Amino acid sequence: MNPFWSMSTGSVRKRSDTEEKTLSGELRTSPLRASAKKQLPSIPKNAVPITKPASPATSSQSTNGTHASYGPFYLEYSLLAEFTLVVKQKLPGVYVQPSYRSALMWFGVIFIRHGLYQDGVFKFTVYIPDNYPDGDCPRLVFDLPVFHPLVDPLSGELDVKRAFAKWRRNHNHIWQVLMYARRVFYKIDTTSPLNPEAAVLYEKDVQLFKSKVIDSVKLCSSHLFDQPKIEDPYAIIFSPWNPAIHDEAREKMLTQKKKPEDQHCKSMHVSGLSWVKPGSVQPFSKEEKTMPT
Amino acid sequence: MERMSWLSKLTPRAGGQRAPRSASLQPPVTADPETCLMVFKNHWAQVLRILERRGSKPAPDDLSAVRNNTYQMLNLLAEDRPWGDGDKDRSQGDGDMACGPILEFVAAENLLERLLCWHLQGDFTEERKVEQLKLYEMLISQARQPLLRHKPVLTPLLRLLSVCAEPASAPLENSLVLLLNQLCVSVAREPAILELFFHSHTDQGPANLIIFSLLIPFIHHEGARGQQARDALLLIMAMSASNRAVAQSITDNSYFCPVLATGLSALYSSLPRKIEVRGDDWHFLRREDWIGVSSLVLFMNSLEFCNAVIQVAHPLVQKQLVDYVHNGFLVPVMGPALHKTSVEEMIASTAYLDLFLRSVSETALLKTFLRFVLLHRHDNMTILDTLVGRINSNSRLCMVSLSLFRTLLSLNCEDVMLQLVLRYLLPCSHVMLSQKRAVRDLDIYGKTAAKFLSLIPRCCRPESPPLPRERDEEPPSRARGHGSPGADAPPAPKPSTPSRLAFFMRQASAGPAEAAAPRSPGPPAGSPPRPGPRDEVAELDRNYLEYLRDARHSIDRCAWACRVWSAPYDGEEPRAPGPTPDPESPPGRPPGPPTPRTKKRGLPEEGAREAPGGPLGGDEPGAGGPGPEPRGGGTLVNGAHGAAEPGRPEGDVAVKKVRRSPQGEGEGGRGAPNGAPRAQPPGWEPLPSVDSLLEELLARVPAEAPGASVSIETFTEELREIEAEMQNGGVGGAPATPTEPPEPPLSHEEEEAFASFAALPEGDAGTGRAPPRPPDPLAQVVASPPRAVGPPPSQPFTGPFVSVLFGKLENMPHNSLYVNFLLTGLVAQLACYPQPLLRSFLLNTNMVFQPSVKSLLQVLGSVKNKIESFAASQEDFPALLFKAKKYLIARGRLDWAEGPGAVPALRRTDTLARSRKPSLGELLLRHANSPTRARQAAQLALQGLRDGGLHPLGPPARHGEALRVRNAVYCAVIFSEFLKELAAIAQAHAVTSPFLTE
Repeated sequence: MNPFWSMSTGSVRKRSDTEEKTLSGELRTSPLRASAKKQLPSIPKNAVPITKPASPATSSQSTNGTHASYGPFYLEYSLLAEFTLVVKQKLPGVYVQPSYRSALMWFGVIFIRHGLYQDGVFKFTVYIPDNYPDGDCPRLVFDLPVFHPLVDPLSGELDVKRAFAKWRRNHNHIWQVLMYARRVFYKIDTTSPLNPEAAVLYEKDVQLFKSKVIDSVKLCSSHLFDQPKIEDPYAIIFSPWNPAIHDEAREKMLTQKKKPEDQHCKSMHVSGLSWVKPGSVQPFSKEEKTMPT
Repeated sequence: MERMSWLSKLTPRAGGQRAPRSASLQPPVTADPETCLMVFKNHWAQVLRILERRGSKPAPDDLSAVRNNTYQMLNLLAEDRPWGDGDKDRSQGDGDMACGPILEFVAAENLLERLLCWHLQGDFTEERKVEQLKLYEMLISQARQPLLRHKPVLTPLLRLLSVCAEPASAPLENSLVLLLNQLCVSVAREPAILELFFHSHTDQGPANLIIFSLLIPFIHHEGARGQQARDALLLIMAMSASNRAVAQSITDNSYFCPVLATGLSALYSSLPRKIEVRGDDWHFLRREDWIGVSSLVLFMNSLEFCNAVIQVAHPLVQKQLVDYVHNGFLVPVMGPALHKTSVEEMIASTAYLDLFLRSVSETALLKTFLRFVLLHRHDNMTILDTLVGRINSNSRLCMVSLSLFRTLLSLNCEDVMLQLVLRYLLPCSHVMLSQKRAVRDLDIYGKTAAKFLSLIPRCCRPESPPLPRERDEEPPSRARGHGSPGADAPPAPKPSTPSRLAFFMRQASAGPAEAAAPRSPGPPAGSPPRPGPRDEVAELDRNYLEYLRDARHSIDRCAWACRVWSAPYDGEEPRAPGPTPDPESPPGRPPGPPTPRTKKRGLPEEGAREAPGGPLGGDEPGAGGPGPEPRGGGTLVNGAHGAAEPGRPEGDVAVKKVRRSPQGEGEGGRGAPNGAPRAQPPGWEPLPSVDSLLEELLARVPAEAPGASVSIETFTEELREIEAEMQNGGVGGAPATPTEPPEPPLSHEEEEAFASFAALPEGDAGTGRAPPRPPDPLAQVVASPPRAVGPPPSQPFTGPFVSVLFGKLENMPHNSLYVNFLLTGLVAQLACYPQPLLRSFLLNTNMVFQPSVKSLLQVLGSVKNKIESFAASQEDFPALLFKAKKYLIARGRLDWAEGPGAVPALRRTDTLARSRKPSLGELLLRHANSPTRARQAAQLALQGLRDGGLHPLGPPARHGEALRVRNAVYCAVIFSEFLKELAAIAQAHAVTSPFLTE
């Protein structure tokens, strides 16, 4: 269970609600424009807008065209399933949130708790190719280019490809990308770096490397409260501690560990039944509770 | 649970009966205690004069004088209160025995006792008893101080009660119950008094709660009296929860539990044996169905009472009652009832069992019912297997059975699922060895969904619209929807975003208000006007999002409920039972089913399979199915015969055979339904012999119930009757009901006509053209339950339940519309279970099964082929299809119009009896697990009906051909929707929130 995760969506919600209103007003008048909006905002480099109509992935699944209209469902559900897998993984210190506008873009933040990058809080965005899962591997771009051998000093893009040379459906999952992104900060790899300076420093002058890393971590922290790079109702936003908002939220997180369940199942007062003894496959094998006196 | 809430009803009632005792109330004018005492003494002096006049019989004048004076005195006594207790707390006085002046006087004079003695000496007529009871009732209910703790009050009261123990006239019983009820209310307020009751020696003997034993005879009474008695008893039960001594006295020294449980038996025996048929779509008992049947109301009252007792009573009482319900009602009465020989009785008892299961809310009681269903053997077969077999029958029995299984599945009970399906899947013998690991795979790319959707028959696809589509229609959601298709992310609670909604708004607005409301905060400006009928029909092609939403909801619900299960059933845990613990499935490859079973069933089955091929093939195109299954018509469906073909002559023959000799040696193997496991796995509770239990029960009850001998005797009698019946019934055919058909050998044509007729959609009723249900008793004949038999030796077997369902599914084009609704709903319900074993078996299309194991996909494929070949052979199929959709939708809407609030709610309790007019809509709406399909069908206009009630598919002909066509066309509609539903379920499984299962 990841309390942070629930809070992050919760706290973002407030804001997005108001945004939504303006949004919805707009959309109401022209639903078609909505799909036009379904593209990635421009990002530094190599941005791939996902406005191409039918992607190979979806159209290939609807060979005879009869259920072509279901294609989008497959894509979105696949991404939803990927997200579910991420949640199941419970990667320590890694949080993601799909964007409001496109399931192909996920916002994330990673907290580094040990090692050279200790105290680092790095926001990033995951871009999933629109022909997922048959395309390339997802891209992961840090909001600020972290000083790291595998992070492009200009674009902030992490070299994901080296770990997923070929993206294989069924084998590769987005949580693996996230796990990889976390790992690079603990096990530093300098071969064929995107940031040769960092690589060289790490090899030759660890002290200098360390101080550069500290600077980089500080820089990232100093921009933590910046407006998100990509405007989106579900973008991850940091704000200074505001007791009026956060105290209560923290309290909730600490006291109700099971809260997400409860929320999710508010409407579900159902409970199943079982009298099967664990390990047994006989019905009614569970022993009767001893009679209270 | 809103199922049975006795206590909530009870509490206010109990309190309400009591006169207000708040101190703030103005005491009567004669408030001065001194004066009151004076007056009281004065009255007493007058009474005393009469009382002391010994010897002579009291004159009538004396009687009325005593009566009047007593009345005044008791009123004063009621108003009496301890000294200084004026308007302060009463609690202070509770500690000591402080009492008011009048009470003191009463005690000193032993006044009440003397009064009663006087009455008893004389001719204590019923009238006078009633008078006395009423006086005490008034006294107890209005007293301003605790009276019962004072012996001088309590002793005469108990004596009076014991005098009234004999059964008597209604007025006396009414007063008695009222007084007892009042006593219970007082005792409930002051449990300490209970001790006094124990220690007070009465004619009833010591530790025997006289209140209690006096109340018991009234348990099953109807009307207010019974209700008061049950309420009162329930108060005592509630007290027992915290007082083991009370609980023990109830279980050891009273016949409460046996009377209650055997009373169910007695009441059951007076239930209608036959449920009046109201239309072809009727398939389960709703409240409005039974509320008018007094015998059923009586039964349900008592069952509700059992439920309530178990809810509040001490575990000792709980356990005893549950045991008695099992051994005194379920086993001796329900068991035989379910095995009655006449179809009508089978239908009735199945529907009753379903009703009971839906009504019981207490886990302990439910457990006993389920244990009975799952484990009890009647005629060497578990009830469960018998019931499973009946799905295979024709007609209403099938529908009632399907409803029962819908109820069972909706319980999300591990034990049920284990017995029905999971234990057959546990050995994983149905999959190729290499595939075993794939059991847990989730299909995250929607491949399964794509497969299911690709099975929508060509003739039903939107691309080939029944009529040229209007051009102004927007293209299907593909173009607009790309990148936007949305279902709300589960963990990320995205609000339904306007952009997402916009794409589906048309659909929502076309739907019933309820469907649109929850997710559309506001329709887009200028929400489109209600579409014409053509559009409405076209809507059916675009309802996928709703299926997704429903699937999501159902799976979440199910996953959440199943978190209490003992194991994940993911192919590893729990392990399939090894050879030692379970001789039934020997290990090794292929493990297969138990050998004894296969030997017995497999062989006759082979023979049986060859036979029916011929007579059928000719005029039922596609019946044998050019399915993907190479073996053609008579293939095994996962080990069992895909029988269920209505109208197979052999089917009925088989039934008759079975009826004649359910236990017969020769036929046994053949007649045993569906490869039910015979050997009872070890460790199952061996049930004591019914007879001995019953005898014990009966022997015991009257002995302990002197006061209630009459009612108990009635029970005994009735029980004997039942016993006798059950003996007759068990041996076959003896008490054939008058409705039993003579069963001449049937010609093929007859069979065919019957098959189509029995499956005739009821739809016409609403249009006023309903063909009266013919008296043909054959319609009630079971087709062939015991036909589908176990697998040939050494073949993996996925269990009788799956076999029967698949067999029935394969036969979809020939099933009636209603059967198909229930059937597809049940399969969808099954598909929502999150256990990987089950999920992979039904929904993983990549899984490679053993050759002999048919997959759901294969079954559906064969249905698809049947429909397509039917469509090809039927020139006007597109038009028929269009009409069928329109009609289904119209029927649905009619019902929505009637009462949108009266939607499914399996456990709805408060709806008043509605029109009994059967309507398709009702059926649709009660299709519990697939609200969408119902909703879709309900979406389109009343058009059809307004148009003058056209029946879409021609006049309601009895002609076999017309009915065959009708069934097939309806099937095409249902089948396509079913595939969408399954596809949505498959997709939703991949995104189940991990929070639900953790």
